[in-house]
Amino acid sequence: MSSLILEVENLTVTYGSFKALKGVSMQIKEGEIVALVGPNGAGKSTLLETIAGIKSPSSGGLKLSGKVITHTNPLKRRKLGIMLIPQEGNLFPGMSVRDNLQLGAFLAGAHTLPDLQNLVYSAFPKLRDRIAQLAGTMSGGEQRMLAIGMGILANPKILMIDELSLGLAPKVVGNILSILRDIRDKIGITIVLAEQSIKVLNVADEVYGLEAGEIIFSERAQNLSHDLIKNLYLGV
Amino acid sequence: MVLQGIITGIIIGGVLSLPVMGVALIYGVTGILNYSIATIGTFGVFVTWMLWSSVGMLPSILAGLLTSFILGFGIQHFLLNPLVNRKGNDLTLFFIITFGIATVFSGLTKIIFPRPTISIDLQKIGTLFIGNVALDVSKLIAILIALFVLFSMRVLEKTTKTGKSWVATSQNLKMAKLVGINVGFVFSLVSGIGYTLGFIGALFWGVLYNLTVITGWDLCFLGYIIAIVGGIGNIWGGMVSALIMGIVISFAGYWLGGMWQSVVLYAILLIILILAPKGILGSERSV
Repeated sequence: MSSLILEVENLTVTYGSFKALKGVSMQIKEGEIVALVGPNGAGKSTLLETIAGIKSPSSGGLKLSGKVITHTNPLKRRKLGIMLIPQEGNLFPGMSVRDNLQLGAFLAGAHTLPDLQNLVYSAFPKLRDRIAQLAGTMSGGEQRMLAIGMGILANPKILMIDELSLGLAPKVVGNILSILRDIRDKIGITIVLAEQSIKVLNVADEVYGLEAGEIIFSERAQNLSHDLIKNLYLGV
Repeated sequence: MVLQGIITGIIIGGVLSLPVMGVALIYGVTGILNYSIATIGTFGVFVTWMLWSSVGMLPSILAGLLTSFILGFGIQHFLLNPLVNRKGNDLTLFFIITFGIATVFSGLTKIIFPRPTISIDLQKIGTLFIGNVALDVSKLIAILIALFVLFSMRVLEKTTKTGKSWVATSQNLKMAKLVGINVGFVFSLVSGIGYTLGFIGALFWGVLYNLTVITGWDLCFLGYIIAIVGGIGNIWGGMVSALIMGIVISFAGYWLGGMWQSVVLYAILLIILILAPKGILGSERSV
């Protein structure tokens, strides 16, 4: 039984009078891949941004490895091991692939860098080939690989990726997801994926369903019923 | 006479390019149009002038540099950063606030330094002849410093972690925070450097002309016109624009008389705003 790394307790986030999250609770175990599924506007991005500290909750709490981090600033959370790759604008477009990767590792200890770098290059060999290219001139899939590479080089305890599949061909999505699972198996990192693609169910250990700011179910991935999946993705 | 006009223009442009680079650097990284750079730079020059007779040239210039850097760093750190965190990046709000800071410091200059008009007398280094125009070499120092700053900033941005962190912050603030860059520190550091550039500009303005409390405001207005014409936030655009506008000021002075200089400058500003609203080399900040 692995220990809890992140506890989300009754989290509420509001924009003006609109409640984006209404008392969300989650318990994430160390080393697992967790999928957050749900339609657009369900609050997935808000939840990830609140965990990263970019947004502040109006009530509720967050604990990382048992330590309360509800009011800790984003920089300290990054130092504690939380890393978010946002849905859009997750690169420094006018800088080279090399610079982007180095910035991903901005706070990571130098001793971990060569190992993680090898891991990233073996997962995404294209990044090594394009090391001098400007990030903003690469294709959508390559940009996503670069963003994930930056996330891994940050050497986080929890890597959160918002809409990895956005704008990518299903085959590419499948590839990237299985690469992420391999990486998790190698370095034991915890991964949270906010995702609309059904393929995420192939790699997840635990699945949370989010709708209109509320958790509507949580289930081990292997126990997900066909009815639930149909409901989620076909709206039947 | 044409050669003389061009040389004078380049000298003026070189001096003006310094506060313009300060404006461009701060805007490029923080997104704040800071209006107080030249007034605080002028305050720094008054500090230098006050210490000059007792401690000598270099220590007094160093004191002025430090004063401007510390004020810039402090204003950003204690006043502007908390506002950025609370209010986000509101151009008008920060324009008004920095305008207020400029007013406070030009008032302080008046109170602390009783002498209204000063001039800075650098030691003569030598005379250079270009064609038949004799040129005091010390007047060229400003443009050499401007070029040096431009060059060293590019080197820093390419080779150091700090330089890369400010480029990253200017390109994508949210991601810069997420990868763990201390953006508050980057903002304050860049502001310190920007105000220091304002000081160097004001110092050399004091070498060319007399310096008064009003000079800070003049440099602010000129700096703004030049920054907008060059493409606000674009450091290279600022440099090119400063040289062009320096030459324009010089010739407008010769041909039309001093009172027409600002008319010509504003006319150019209007034409640029109509034909190329993002400036001749384009604005760099898009985030």
